[in-house]
Amino acid sequence: MKSKVFFLTIVAVLIFFGCASRRERQILYSSSYNYEIQPAGVGQDGTKALKVWGYGRSPEDAVKTAKRNAIAASIFQGIPAGPGVGRTPAIVTEHNADVKHAEYFDEFFKVGGRYLSFITLSTDGPPSGRDRVRIERNYYKVGVYVQIMHDNLRRELENAGIARRLDHGF
Amino acid sequence: MKRILPFLILTFILVSIASGQTARRPTIMVVPSEQYCISRGYSTTFVNEGVEQTIPDYRRAMQSDPDLRLVITKMGGIMADRGFPLKDLEQELRNLERQSAELEMLSSGETGAGIAESPIDRLKRVAQADIILDLDFTINERGPQNWITFNLRGLDAYTANMIAGAAGSGQPSTSAPPDLLLEEAVLSYMDEFNGRLMTHFEDMFRIGRQVSIRVQVWDSAFFDLYDFFNYDGYDMELLDIIEYWIEDNTVEGRYSLTDGSNNFLRFDQVRIPLFTVDPRGRERAMDTRRFVSSLASYLRQNFNIDSHIHQRGLGEAWLILGER
Repeated sequence: MKSKVFFLTIVAVLIFFGCASRRERQILYSSSYNYEIQPAGVGQDGTKALKVWGYGRSPEDAVKTAKRNAIAASIFQGIPAGPGVGRTPAIVTEHNADVKHAEYFDEFFKVGGRYLSFITLSTDGPPSGRDRVRIERNYYKVGVYVQIMHDNLRRELENAGIARRLDHGF
Repeated sequence: MKRILPFLILTFILVSIASGQTARRPTIMVVPSEQYCISRGYSTTFVNEGVEQTIPDYRRAMQSDPDLRLVITKMGGIMADRGFPLKDLEQELRNLERQSAELEMLSSGETGAGIAESPIDRLKRVAQADIILDLDFTINERGPQNWITFNLRGLDAYTANMIAGAAGSGQPSTSAPPDLLLEEAVLSYMDEFNGRLMTHFEDMFRIGRQVSIRVQVWDSAFFDLYDFFNYDGYDMELLDIIEYWIEDNTVEGRYSLTDGSNNFLRFDQVRIPLFTVDPRGRERAMDTRRFVSSLASYLRQNFNIDSHIHQRGLGEAWLILGER
């Protein structure tokens, strides 16, 4: 009986931590210190050309994370300045917008979610060389180049009432 | 009745939303910087009381500089997309010229009277905007390489504060022509600029619009600002009475009495609310003239002081005491 209780306790603890880590993965998109991103030049009108890094259990997973990070960084963190390119501020400036609009962002960033429609171009195949780093046995960090439809993304969030329009209140 | 009530409430909410006031939208105009105009020869030199002065000739700059027109057009597109269509300097100058000619020619059908216009009215007939985008760029060359240095400053036309700015140099290129590099420069820096402009607007909605107010006294007035008036049973200098009113009516009492004498007071960084309720009980957008007009009413009703309001755009007004 005692061993059964012990076994059940272990299972409960594992389930608890399993849920927690899944929850952590879910909220990664809004983590403002988890993006490694840099401009890769000036994009065409309304777009941004970026190099962004992602982590994953396989290089393919890491590419997917990188794409999501590109969009999430544009929304919550902004894109830093680079050589010949000015800084791009975060689209959403409201503090805690990720928590306030968690339902919207959970849907937006779900697997195969709407965020993908704002990525127009990416080096989709798993990169090689310096852009592919094997951190652990089954854990990779990869850097990919993406072009995002920044103006469309801003408009989408403005229309959803999450981002403030520049002329808001006038 | 129970069914009608929710409908009435909903109707009331919808009407309230529909009649909701918005703040006065500032006008924005791109103007090439003096440095840009003068260094490229778009300027006029004249002698003013023995001193040689050079002033920019914006009309010539707009007529003969295709790079400048390209940059302004590109910026105009971006700003229009963000809900702020730019006032066009070239059209504004042309419109002013036409307006002057029409004002000269207009006469009444009955008596042949012309349009009343004081020297001040004529002086005010210049291209105006509430926010000036002071633009400067240079096309640099080094061997086969070209690159752009870009400098954009957003200036509040009345307080002269720089409310936004973006500047930097583009990447040198051997293949891209200068017009493409210019387009690239605008795309590179406008998001940063608009981000700062947004911060300025957010500040404005939080702590009010920043304006300047000047109080003057006509030389025909029977009093000056050091004279005592009865205020709630106490004798107080007019200067203090005005300052108390400003303190009571600004957002969080934010203002700065920069300078003053028995004849004038200068209030800077005066934060006025964006909305007010007019005597008919309707919410209206507030501007400096309306704010100063409330001060004028207060002085007339309580101290029998007549005054004249001289407006200088959205952000500055002078109240001249003594007569209308």
